[in-house]
This record gives sequence, C-alpha cells and structure tokens, in this order.
Amino acid sequence: MDEKELIRRSQAGDGEAFGVLVERYRGKVFSLAYGFTRDRTSADDLAQEVLIKAYFSLPKFKAKSAFGTWLYRIAVNHAKDFLRKNKGRQKEISIEDVGEQTLTAENKSLEEKRVEEGRRQIVQAALARLPEKYRVILTLRDIDGLSYEDISGVLKLSPGTVDSRLHRARRKLREKLTGRLIRQGGEHGLQ
Amino acid sequence: MDCNKAERFLLRSLDGRLDHENRAMLQAHLEKCPSCQEKDREYQMILRLIRPQTVPEPLPYFQERLLAKLKEQDKTAPALIWVKWAHRAVAFSLAVFFLFGAGILFFRPQEPRELSQTERFLLQDENPLGEAASILDQKKAEDRNMMLIFASVGDKDVSRRYKP
Repeated sequence: MDEKELIRRSQAGDGEAFGVLVERYRGKVFSLAYGFTRDRTSADDLAQEVLIKAYFSLPKFKAKSAFGTWLYRIAVNHAKDFLRKNKGRQKEISIEDVGEQTLTAENKSLEEKRVEEGRRQIVQAALARLPEKYRVILTLRDIDGLSYEDISGVLKLSPGTVDSRLHRARRKLREKLTGRLIRQGGEHGLQ
Repeated sequence: MDCNKAERFLLRSLDGRLDHENRAMLQAHLEKCPSCQEKDREYQMILRLIRPQTVPEPLPYFQERLLAKLKEQDKTAPALIWVKWAHRAVAFSLAVFFLFGAGILFFRPQEPRELSQTERFLLQDENPLGEAASILDQKKAEDRNMMLIFASVGDKDVSRRYKP
C-alpha cells in the first residue's frame, strides 16, 4: 500500500495501517536508537517509545517533510532526552579498562579480535564524551549513514551548518582519541 | 596547500564530497606530508571503528509489544483528553475572572457629581425666573425689599446677598 495512504489511515486511528508503517521503519528506528545507546534492551525501549510517540503525534504530521525524516526527528529528540536522563547511569567504558582487557588476550587471533573490539569501545567511549550536538551528528552520519540532506531535514539545519558541524565533530573526536589512545601506539594504536 | 586546508579536504573526501581537481591537490599534499598522512589514516580508522560491528535485532515480539502498548494507551487517551480540556477550562476561567476583576477595578462607574446651576435649570426644568417673578410682582416696595432680603439669605454666595 502507498505510504501516503498508510499515513492517512494511521492518522484516522487505523492500527493495522500503522503496523505496516512500523514494519517498514522499525529497523531504522531501532538502529538509530542502538547507535545512541549501544545497548540492545535500552535501544528496544527507546525505539518503542519513539514509535508510540509518533503514533500519537501523527495527527500533527502535515507532510511538509518525508515521513522518514519526521520519524527520525522524533527519534533524535527522544534519544537526546534519553541520554540526558541517563547521563549518570549510562554504562561508560573506561579507556584504561579497555587497554587492560586487550593486554590479557591469550592467543593471537583472539587477541586480534579483542584489540579490534577494544579499539571500537575506545572510540565509543570518546564519542560518549563529546558534546551532545557533535554526538548526534556523528551518530546520524557516520553510524547510521544518513545523507547530508536527510541530516539537514532531521536537525533542521542548513546543509552548510551540517557540513561544518560534522567536520568539527570529527576533529574533536580525533583530538580525544589522539590524546588518550593514538599516542599510546603499539597494539592499541590506531594503525 | 597548507595542512589546515588539507584536513578540510580530507574530511570532505571521507564522504566522497571532493571533486576530482581538489582530490588531486590533496593527493599531492599527502605524498609529501607525513603528518597529514597520519591524520588520513586516523580518520579512516575512526570512521571504521565508530560503527558497531553488528547491530542486533530488536528484542522478540517487538511489533506485538508495540501494538499492545498502543491499544492500552488508546484506551486511556480519552481520559487524557478530558484532563487536557479540564486544564484548559480552568485556565480559561481564571483568565476570565482576572479580566473581569481588572475591568471592575479600572472602569469603576464615577460618583454622581453635583449639577451646576445651569445644568439644573436645563436638565431639571427649573425656571430661574419663577421666584424672581413673584418678588417683582409685589406692589409695595417694602414687601419687595423684604422678600429680596429673605431670598438672598438662603444664597450660599455671600457676595450675592441683598444689601439695601
């Protein structure tokens, strides 16, 4: 069925039509939520909350932007709230902890995997320490792979601002990693 | 090209947003700048590592759980609408109350003021010559004078009292 028709029916309270929309978008919403939380259960909760919020906000949807963009906007705003509420409680990976984990690897192939995973966690830890606006734009672009135009629509920013903010965010992330990780070199260095 | 410009080009090239000419300039700079080569490697690595290796599936029965929650919330929605309208009604009543109060305070009806003599003559249809005519009709000068004296005694304005 045509998406416009599905939206129209959902706006009229048709749960089945909304179910079809959910089927189409739940993967994207969950993936975005996972990009922010890096926790399956939290991402699941977040995705459910986003879709419930979207259902009850559907009467306000005027199709000025694509449905996907509108849904992403709700998801990003909700994710921001989630991050603010859970700031103290979030499972934060310490860069030092990751270093110790990688050193205790026993055999080479296992160690390689651990080193790779350790590096990933270090990058994740650095990302979590960035200011919210940089974290959001990096999640949208570098994790979820949204286009500049889509990011511009979701965050209501001009393409020029998206460009400059993204570049600043990448620079900041690299600076954090250069100070804490890259300088260490050896097996933990980004090579 | 300096290293700052090279970094800008590097960042743009990560998204494939660098045209052919600029890409060639960046390449030429990278070949002779070890520091920018290092940056290039780091950015590439960060971009690879920032993505989770795998994104798990949502927990089982995602859709069923969601639709069940929607049904549940749909039932409570009318009550929520009532609450919302009740809040609006309270706010509206308060606004009307305050407006009415302000209206009474600022637009109080004025105290009725005393009418001037002219107004009294005009509005209450009093004939100013009524009393004077009866005095002037007196034939005897004494009577006329006496009546004038008595009439002027009642006048508040002392300067207007009759002085024979």
